[in-house]
Amino acid sequence: MTPRRITGLLALGLLLSIVAALCLGTVRYTPIELLTEGLRALGFSAGAPLDEAHTIILNEIRFPRVLLAALIGGALAVTGALLQIVFQNPMADASLLGVGSGAALGAVIAVKLGWSFDIFLALPAAAFAGALGAAFMVYGVAQSTKSSSLTSLILTGLAVSAFLSGLTSIVLIASEEFRVRAVFFWLAGGLEGRGYIHLAIAAALIVPACLVIAILHRPLDLLLLGEMEARALGLNVPRMRLVLLGLAALLSGATTSIAGSVPFIGLMAPHAMRGLVGSRTPRLLPASFFAGAALVVLSDLAARALSDRYDLPLGAITSLCGAPYLIHILRRTDSV
Amino acid sequence: MTDAPVVRVRNVTVRRGIRDVVRDVSLDVANGERIALVGPNAAGKSTFLSSIAGLLPIQSGGIDLCGQSLSVLSGRQIARQAALVVALYEGAPRLTVRESTELGRYPHAGPLQGLTDIDHAVVEHVIAETGLTPLADRSLGSLSAGERQRALVARALAQEPRLLLLDEPSAHLDVGHALDLFALLSTIALRGVAIVAVIHDLVAAAHWASRMIVMNDGALADDGPPASVMKGAALGQAFGVNILGAHSAPGQDGAATWRFERRIRD
Repeated sequence: MTPRRITGLLALGLLLSIVAALCLGTVRYTPIELLTEGLRALGFSAGAPLDEAHTIILNEIRFPRVLLAALIGGALAVTGALLQIVFQNPMADASLLGVGSGAALGAVIAVKLGWSFDIFLALPAAAFAGALGAAFMVYGVAQSTKSSSLTSLILTGLAVSAFLSGLTSIVLIASEEFRVRAVFFWLAGGLEGRGYIHLAIAAALIVPACLVIAILHRPLDLLLLGEMEARALGLNVPRMRLVLLGLAALLSGATTSIAGSVPFIGLMAPHAMRGLVGSRTPRLLPASFFAGAALVVLSDLAARALSDRYDLPLGAITSLCGAPYLIHILRRTDSV
Repeated sequence: MTDAPVVRVRNVTVRRGIRDVVRDVSLDVANGERIALVGPNAAGKSTFLSSIAGLLPIQSGGIDLCGQSLSVLSGRQIARQAALVVALYEGAPRLTVRESTELGRYPHAGPLQGLTDIDHAVVEHVIAETGLTPLADRSLGSLSAGERQRALVARALAQEPRLLLLDEPSAHLDVGHALDLFALLSTIALRGVAIVAVIHDLVAAAHWASRMIVMNDGALADDGPPASVMKGAALGQAFGVNILGAHSAPGQDGAATWRFERRIRD
């Protein structure tokens, strides 16, 4: 099967996942009801309308949440693929940039100081600031070291992550229990309570970033060859790496600030797609986006459908899928 | 062909860490020359090759590529004139031969443009020239060492360089594949492309090259036709060996008359 056909099937799979996620849950809809409601929203008069409660649940709660899940999942997968190319390591993910730890610290500070209770969107804004701050700190410290740039980036990422996690623990231990509970739900990852405003913010950050990455597919392909080879072909590797790390930080900052920690998507989706469509970025990135989007849409469906009483943490669901997948990869070391 | 050198190296010193790895090296490379760069391990050969490709800063001296100083050329401008094939390369195993070769057009096409019909024609031409047409859709990781080396040469040729720099191109190749590769390089040189190759096998180097340059401890120790370099004192001194049968010129008595014997150290 050609890579283009595989990507088409993945897009179809994403569409079916979105339909399934819209239909299923505590409140259920049939595909016909979805179609009718969609036509009505577009101004056509079609079929009998849903009652008010069902209409509100579908339009105001489920629809933005499912679209947000797709957008977040796609962005996580693209970020993973991007960082794996930049770090020349198929196991690289956003944690190497310290983004997760930075976002967590930002969120905890916002909760500790009470901003998240008083100011609308203060928690995602603080998390976003923390994520970008951590990424810049990692890059700045790595640049000031004398060892080779990739090695120093990886080690600096680990050091900064550990440092920020330490600070987060200290702030958490000094916080009241109800504040800790608020931040715990965010740290565990999830889309509960996210609406159109979150979807709009995510789209404003993720869509342009993904378009810029798509435009840069030729330099990205060159990086596949390795640093020395890319430079020998005329690519300004340090400058391109800075641009790509900036885009990765922007994407992972956006996803983490809105959905909290959703691990393994950035690792699973690109790895699986590399085996199906190859490693060239014009094929890998769209395929990874669709696969990551479908994974998070289905994981979020599981998170809200597996229990009648409460939403399970989305990050826990992706971890439960991702950890066995990682072990599977490690057992087949030739495919890493 | 013009008489102007493809590369002019003047008193170049390259420092890595606190050590001068290349020391005060000067040489000119003309169109179509087949140069074997030989010398013991850590003599500075690969560093010298990388500095000609503009990948390492030079401490002093200057390098002109096709009449222009490297210091005023951008990375893509250099890559349109000089192509480097690094030693023992095993990266990007999932790329096909054609995809890998297409990346060689980056210096011409740039970061944002797609490949033109001309680019595709060049790619197909160099794939055919390197004998890789039947393997064009195979991944690099599935090729033998000899086929992969030819694929790397194809990518370098796709740059349409006037200078081809190769670091140990015959490493890990059996004698048959090594001979095939050197025959291919000779054909490329006939088109006027200057070739500088780091080669460890002195006999193969002497047979293939039109000029042999010996590097020892970062400096040029000898430079001339293979027949004279093979019988010169500098080569044996650089490697710490005695070269027996050095009176034989390649193409006359053949390589079999050269034998190497370790010198007894003081």
